[in-house]
Amino acid sequence: MAAYLLRRLAWGGATVLGVLAFLFLLFFVYAKPEDVARRALGEKAPPEAIAQWRANHGYDKPAVWNPSHPFDTMLADHYRRMLGFDFGNSDADDVPIAKRLRQGVGPSLSLTLPLFALGLPLALALALLVAFFRETYIDRAGVVACVLAMSVSMLIYILGGQYLIGKLLRWFPISGFDASPALIARFVALPVLVGLLAGIGSDVRFYRAVFVEEASRDYVRTARAKGAGDGRVMARHVLPNAGIPILTNVVVEIPFLFTGSILLESFFGIPGLGSITVDAINANDFATLRVMVFLGALLFVAGQIATDLAYTLADPRVRLE
Amino acid sequence: MRAALVLALGLLALGCSNDPYPPADAGARILYVPFQEAPKTLDPQVAYSVYDHEVLANVYEALLEYHYLARPYQLIPGLAVEVPRARPLADGRVAYRFELRRDVRFARDPCFALGQAGRDTRELSASDVAFALMRIADPKVNSPVIETFARIVGLRAFGQRLAELRESEPGFAALRIDRQYARAGPVEGIRVEDAAALEVVLAAPYPQILYWFAMPFTAPVPWEAVAWYDGREGRDLFAEVAVGTGPFRLARYDKRSRIVLERNPTWYGVEHPEWKAPAATYPTQGAAGDAERGLLDPRYAGRPLPFLDRVELRLEKEQIPAFTKFGQGYYDRSRLPKESFEQVVREGALSPAMAALGMRLERSVQPAVYYLGFNMSDPVVGAAAGERGRKLRQAMSLAIDAGEFLRVFLNGRGTPAQSPIPPGIFGYDDAYRNPYRQPDLARARRLLAEAGYPGGVDPKTGSALRLSFDTGDTSVQGRLRFLFFIEAWRSLGLDVQLDATTYNQFQAKVRNGAYQLFMWGWVADYPDPENFLFLLASEMSQTRSGGPNTANFADPGYDAAFREIKDRDNDARRLEGIRALRAILERERPWIELFHPEDYALIHGWLHGVKPSGLSVPVWKYQDVDPAERAARRAAWNAPVRWPAYALAGALVALLAPGVAAWWRERQ
Repeated sequence: MAAYLLRRLAWGGATVLGVLAFLFLLFFVYAKPEDVARRALGEKAPPEAIAQWRANHGYDKPAVWNPSHPFDTMLADHYRRMLGFDFGNSDADDVPIAKRLRQGVGPSLSLTLPLFALGLPLALALALLVAFFRETYIDRAGVVACVLAMSVSMLIYILGGQYLIGKLLRWFPISGFDASPALIARFVALPVLVGLLAGIGSDVRFYRAVFVEEASRDYVRTARAKGAGDGRVMARHVLPNAGIPILTNVVVEIPFLFTGSILLESFFGIPGLGSITVDAINANDFATLRVMVFLGALLFVAGQIATDLAYTLADPRVRLE
Repeated sequence: MRAALVLALGLLALGCSNDPYPPADAGARILYVPFQEAPKTLDPQVAYSVYDHEVLANVYEALLEYHYLARPYQLIPGLAVEVPRARPLADGRVAYRFELRRDVRFARDPCFALGQAGRDTRELSASDVAFALMRIADPKVNSPVIETFARIVGLRAFGQRLAELRESEPGFAALRIDRQYARAGPVEGIRVEDAAALEVVLAAPYPQILYWFAMPFTAPVPWEAVAWYDGREGRDLFAEVAVGTGPFRLARYDKRSRIVLERNPTWYGVEHPEWKAPAATYPTQGAAGDAERGLLDPRYAGRPLPFLDRVELRLEKEQIPAFTKFGQGYYDRSRLPKESFEQVVREGALSPAMAALGMRLERSVQPAVYYLGFNMSDPVVGAAAGERGRKLRQAMSLAIDAGEFLRVFLNGRGTPAQSPIPPGIFGYDDAYRNPYRQPDLARARRLLAEAGYPGGVDPKTGSALRLSFDTGDTSVQGRLRFLFFIEAWRSLGLDVQLDATTYNQFQAKVRNGAYQLFMWGWVADYPDPENFLFLLASEMSQTRSGGPNTANFADPGYDAAFREIKDRDNDARRLEGIRALRAILERERPWIELFHPEDYALIHGWLHGVKPSGLSVPVWKYQDVDPAERAARRAAWNAPVRWPAYALAGALVALLAPGVAAWWRERQ
């Protein structure tokens, strides 16, 4: 198990280093720092100011090769900063990126946590319900509804939700964010509702398939033969055994609760980590963008390893070698 | 479980309101405005965008300001006691002496404890103005306007000395910023006479400098704020705070969501109600039409400023939600999204339905110009092609119908441009019609034939003359706009190809001179024709010097006539010179002038004192809201519609009930 873990960690590390190399090529070799400077300083900035900006940001160093000081290059700086978690300042407005991340975590979690905490039980409950009534009109209607819900684009949910619930019915503010306790629920309600609707179709369909498959196994028949009722069979026997595929689906998602939802945050004006990424793309803010991609890679690798570990915990038959 | 569900539903029902603001603010004198993009920086010596200045101009004060209502624009004293006049000196230099109001204090801020323990504000001194000017030359500040202020004698040399000392002397760069400036100073052309007067000496006449003293670039900043807000040990960066002398102070700066300004209790105008200067009272006279628009309302005219207690800015990146919230009464003004234009505007005026809700429409032509440019360094379309190139440009100019472009793409929001100078600027001539800007395809075809491209065919290749239209805009909307021009030129037989690359690649093409046709715009820094006509002076050439003359137009006659007018007062000779420049542009056609954009702003009936200006003006001190009227309107417009929720719940129950009932029967 320890050897397996070490191997996974080594592969994960290599993946992250590769992502960093790719980021460097994309952001500092393909895109020239001078263009970033021009974008940051605006259309009217004279060349003098551009050169000074590059010097102030360390983008006037040689990119890869500096014979006199081999480690005084942009590439060395890039790896040193990322691996040391010293993220530096935004290219767009010089605000420390670490500070921006700290400020963004709260708003992101205030959206993703309710979404996760409500979404998972709701999807499980609906899937159990549909599976329970399998091969009745409830099951068929449920599957049709799920497929319909899956086929609609997230953007339609967002714009439709804003139009219907925000504009026509006036239940909640159409967008915006306020972290004060009196107002936060009002602002988060609509994006959470939209996020639930958009995500629930695929989850329910997947969990239903898992439950239906489990429900046809021998041990279920045995349980029934021993006189267990429908409810007890579903809750006590089927649900725990369906745990592994559900776990795969869920544990991978947990690290990304911190990075927020790019689409929901952008459209609802929630100042979280997801919209930081979009803002950085729009502003050519490569310093911020590379941090977001780097953190995304780290979290992805962490999610994969956590899923593997969760397997062994959930199912004693699984051994990691 | 059931109790929790009931509780959650109950909370949801209670929270069921679309009001984005806390109930306590309902009756307050607060202005609510959306912002589409956050300021990049609040450092007045660096900030250069509209978004930056919207906040800055209300928090910092400059030495001069613009009259809020008068047009053409007119300078009035701000921190200065009066607008100074140029005093010629012996060697061609000129001096401007600024006398400052006494007893002006900065907004309260902990940074002032740096100068003296326990202090949280201090009086403004002329040396703060000098400090701000010196910051413009500081390479670390990286001000975008150093070129302009380098006209102050010795300012650039000061910046160089500062850089050298930081480089050569160990420990110098760690000194407090005021000590660094004191060591590298003084600047010959900035003479601080006493706490309330300073003289600025320019190496050569440049009357436009006064306009720059009405912009935030010259707003005095306290050295304590620059020294204290260094981004270390949890302190903010100076670019993220604002310590000014203005009528408002920055109460909250969360630029990813919310910016709040509050009335500044230490503002000079508040502490000195006897001060009746134009910058402290609502104007009693305005431009033509202002009285009809309610801008000279006796309830405000002559009253001391400001009226508002707070300004709340909320980030709204998308236009449609912002417009919806405006319709719900949660913003006091709004821009007009293209999608809603038809619904709001009928024949240039507000639709009767919106007018019945008490809304108003404010239209104003911006001091800006958009144009298509030719790269005059190009061998085919440029100056090197001589008479052929000139006729080609003239023909291409005749093919573009700016009025149609405005109708198709901008809902007619703009005025077709005849020359670079927009309305409201000295030298603009309402009667002037540029003969090459009146669409005329027949004449264009004749000129094209005279240029040696009959029917658009290049005799060298035997096929249509191929040109490239270069742009850094790859959006769908951008593409449609450019295709409009390209189609017009195709109708002459020319084969113009759209070459849309990333913004960065386009920038690189421009720097290398590898482009032929482009579209560009310019928004005035200050209301003077020089700020438009210099865009075609050869010394501003983009490819050669990185300047804003992206057309690389270089015409000795133009340069000479431009030198003649650029530093003159607005007299008859200047007008004559501007006409001469216009004639050169008319013939040479480095630009195809397109339009001067028009700003449409929607305003609720409860908001008073709005006059769009297009320049950096401290507008909020002149504006006011009627909170009672607003609260009543909001209540009427925002009652939630609840029945669909009950209907939905009922439908779900109806859907599930037969299935559950069947299961129950089976079990029994």
